[in-house]
Amino acid sequence: MSRHEETMKLFPDIKTETTRRAFIGCATAMAAWPGVAFANGRAVSTKPPTAAKKSASRKHSAKVDANPFAAWETPDGKATDSVMVRRLYLDLAGRIPTKDEAQEYVFDTNPEKRRLLVERLIASDDFADYWAMRFCDALRVKSEFPINLWPNAVYVYHDRVRRFLKHNEPWDTFGRALLTSQGSDFRDAEANFFRATDKRTPEGWAEATAQVFLGIPPADLDDATRRRFADFLANVKIKNTREWKEEIVYVEGKDRRGELCDLLFGERRADVADAFVRRIRGWFYGADNAKPPKKAVKPLFRVKDVIRGIVLSDEYALGSVTGGFPVRRLDAEVLDDIFCTLSGSVRNYQSPAPEPFSFLPPKRKTVSIEDGSISNGFLTLFGRPARDTGLDNERGEDVTAKQRLYLFNSGKLNKQINNMILPGGRKIDGKLNPLLSLKFPQRIEEIYWRIVSRAPTQREFAILAANRKTRNGGQTFFVYRDLIWCLINTKEFLFRI
Amino acid sequence: MKPAKSVVEIWLWGGPSQLETFDPKPNASRDYNGGLKAIQTNVPGMEIHEWWPQLAKCADLYSVIRTMTHKHNGHESAAYLMQTGRTPGGGEVCPAIGAVISQAKKAGYKGDLPPYVILTTAKGRFSEVGFLGADAAPLVTGGQPNSPRFAVDGIVPPASIPLEAAKKRHELLAELDAWRPKEGSANAARAKEFDVAGVEARRIAEGDAAKVFDLSQESEETRNRYGRTHVGQSLLAARRLVEYGVPYVTFNHGGWDSHKRHFETMKKRSAETDQAVAAFLRDLKDRGLLDSTIVWMGGEFGRTPKVGWDPPWNGGRNHFANCFSALVAGGGFKGGCVVGKSNETASKPVERPVSPQDFLGSIYELCGIDPDGLLPNNKGKKMTVLPPQSEAGRLKEIYA
Repeated sequence: MSRHEETMKLFPDIKTETTRRAFIGCATAMAAWPGVAFANGRAVSTKPPTAAKKSASRKHSAKVDANPFAAWETPDGKATDSVMVRRLYLDLAGRIPTKDEAQEYVFDTNPEKRRLLVERLIASDDFADYWAMRFCDALRVKSEFPINLWPNAVYVYHDRVRRFLKHNEPWDTFGRALLTSQGSDFRDAEANFFRATDKRTPEGWAEATAQVFLGIPPADLDDATRRRFADFLANVKIKNTREWKEEIVYVEGKDRRGELCDLLFGERRADVADAFVRRIRGWFYGADNAKPPKKAVKPLFRVKDVIRGIVLSDEYALGSVTGGFPVRRLDAEVLDDIFCTLSGSVRNYQSPAPEPFSFLPPKRKTVSIEDGSISNGFLTLFGRPARDTGLDNERGEDVTAKQRLYLFNSGKLNKQINNMILPGGRKIDGKLNPLLSLKFPQRIEEIYWRIVSRAPTQREFAILAANRKTRNGGQTFFVYRDLIWCLINTKEFLFRI
Repeated sequence: MKPAKSVVEIWLWGGPSQLETFDPKPNASRDYNGGLKAIQTNVPGMEIHEWWPQLAKCADLYSVIRTMTHKHNGHESAAYLMQTGRTPGGGEVCPAIGAVISQAKKAGYKGDLPPYVILTTAKGRFSEVGFLGADAAPLVTGGQPNSPRFAVDGIVPPASIPLEAAKKRHELLAELDAWRPKEGSANAARAKEFDVAGVEARRIAEGDAAKVFDLSQESEETRNRYGRTHVGQSLLAARRLVEYGVPYVTFNHGGWDSHKRHFETMKKRSAETDQAVAAFLRDLKDRGLLDSTIVWMGGEFGRTPKVGWDPPWNGGRNHFANCFSALVAGGGFKGGCVVGKSNETASKPVERPVSPQDFLGSIYELCGIDPDGLLPNNKGKKMTVLPPQSEAGRLKEIYA
């Protein structure tokens, strides 16, 4: 009898196929839970809950299942499919997979499934939205102080950056378009490169150029390079028009910006490619792991090529428990989208200044907000960058007590959790919340898939079974919103593991 | 002199008019004073605008500066200047005074609440902490102090989750949060950061700290004295935060950007603010807290002295940074003084101009922070608290 069959024999009444399949991965964990049996699709404890719990934890510490981390990592230190699908959606689409998307991947037996999913995701609008957010951080796309692009220019510039990503335009081509741009900030999107800095001088532009294309922050830029770049940019000028906040970028005298491009994308091509790859790797793995493992043979200049290289590598498939895959806290915007999507709640982003006010449609994803000046307390708390400097460390990725207070106790989040589960709660995307028609333990399973993209393990089932409560009449029930709250407060949820 | 322990900033976002606050010009024409008057305070010779009668009765507790001046008439640049002492630009976004003082004082502060608290909304428009990052960020309370339950989001758990239920949730969470990376790895450090933050968060939410925001512990009489208004109950919360020991509390009090229908806006705003600030200063005094607490009130600039009577303004005042007023009290500032003198229309300083750096430098000095020293948490940058400047401009004439 295979291990799987053995396992399934222990729990003959588990009806749902997904749960059965999920158990394959945690077969060894199962034997440790003799206190719990499943009958008629309903988990019941054969002992009083507390006794079962104690016995369970004793067993757990005594035997510690061969792999207590089976939900997240295979015995050879690789990420499980559930972790992998979540990673790919978070990194490439800036969101978590829906239950159906996660299951489709996890239960797909095609050996090419990772590559196929990567291709699908990087062709999606979600990809362009999420990566435009990242690149707009670097390019300082915001209306207000200290960059002062103002709304009209923000929207055209963001759209241009998004097109660069959507169409996989080479970085050097895009860079040349930015550096040689001129015209109105409303119509010639690339001209905003020269406006998106708080120092609109040749030196300021030299610094922006070095930062964006060579990854050198102003503080580390040597004077000779600054002067050299500034010389090429000395004739760039900006003037106002009679249209409110319209500005024209133009060149007075000889335009030497082509020479700057030749220098960057010719002589220093390898440096530019290296900085480009590092920047993207840094967004995946953090600044400490930004350096590529070995020098690429040919410089890569297309975002999607660099990203494919990363997400199809063996390195990317490592587990985060023992495999060393670097975890990353979810971005503020991504978290906001997760909470809003799961609960069907609306967003009300607006920019009260500068006039005229901007109001974003309630269903617009937070990730796709163009303007760095549009924010709120939640986004600030979780580190949405102000886009003041364009440096990667502007985005807060740490975990603070204030953030955890929010996740523990926020009234707003509490309402969102209620909406994810409560009967009579709002419909989600016009459809009645499917959770409502499910009962224990299928409802538990559904919640796990939705929030952490996997089935609960046997151990988790046992814990939850032990936490069922009894009403006066002897009827047992489970407080599902406690489970949702718990899952949202796990590391597994808050980090891309 | 002992340095002040706490600072309460009443930030009048938008730019309040100097003429209808602390620099009234009853003898100017109606085009400047709107036909309104000044009133005598309890300090002989010191007059303020007639819309501040409660503050007029306790002018011995505070001093006013009538000659604040700078050159930035846009909200963002002016607010940045008034908050950081620096002009915008230069590639760095500097921390506001609240972030600097709370960072300097956090070592000596033993409370569980963060050392920097903002009632009730963040300033926005520019970063309060600049390059100092999330660990220096203020706790922004959210919530409505003037509601039956001041639910500070995150700190005061939702009413539907009693403490006992919350504890049970945490027990369940401890069992379910089982992802744990290998000891000694970079991931283990991240996991630890998460756990440590969680312990700190629970200490704040379940300990005494959350009670600070429970305004129902105050008597009805006290609550009414501050006024049952947003500003009134916010300042009552500020007093409780000062008692608790929080080094820097900002009350972000918006609504002073009265381009249109200025007098209507200003009259309503002044009345509730007058009552609240007077009650607040008296309360601090009665509790022996005023000597150790600096209170400052002001905005990023004042307003154009000449009233725009015609449409679309209909009696409005625009941005005006050349001459405006601010209030300081306690923590080593004398009360009952007037610093500076403006011209007959409050449009320019004629004696003793006070720059934002002079103003902030004085607060730093009275807090025991050297304005010329390095920032207390400078992230490796050689940046001083304020840009190099003469200390001659500091408000030494009103140091106690």
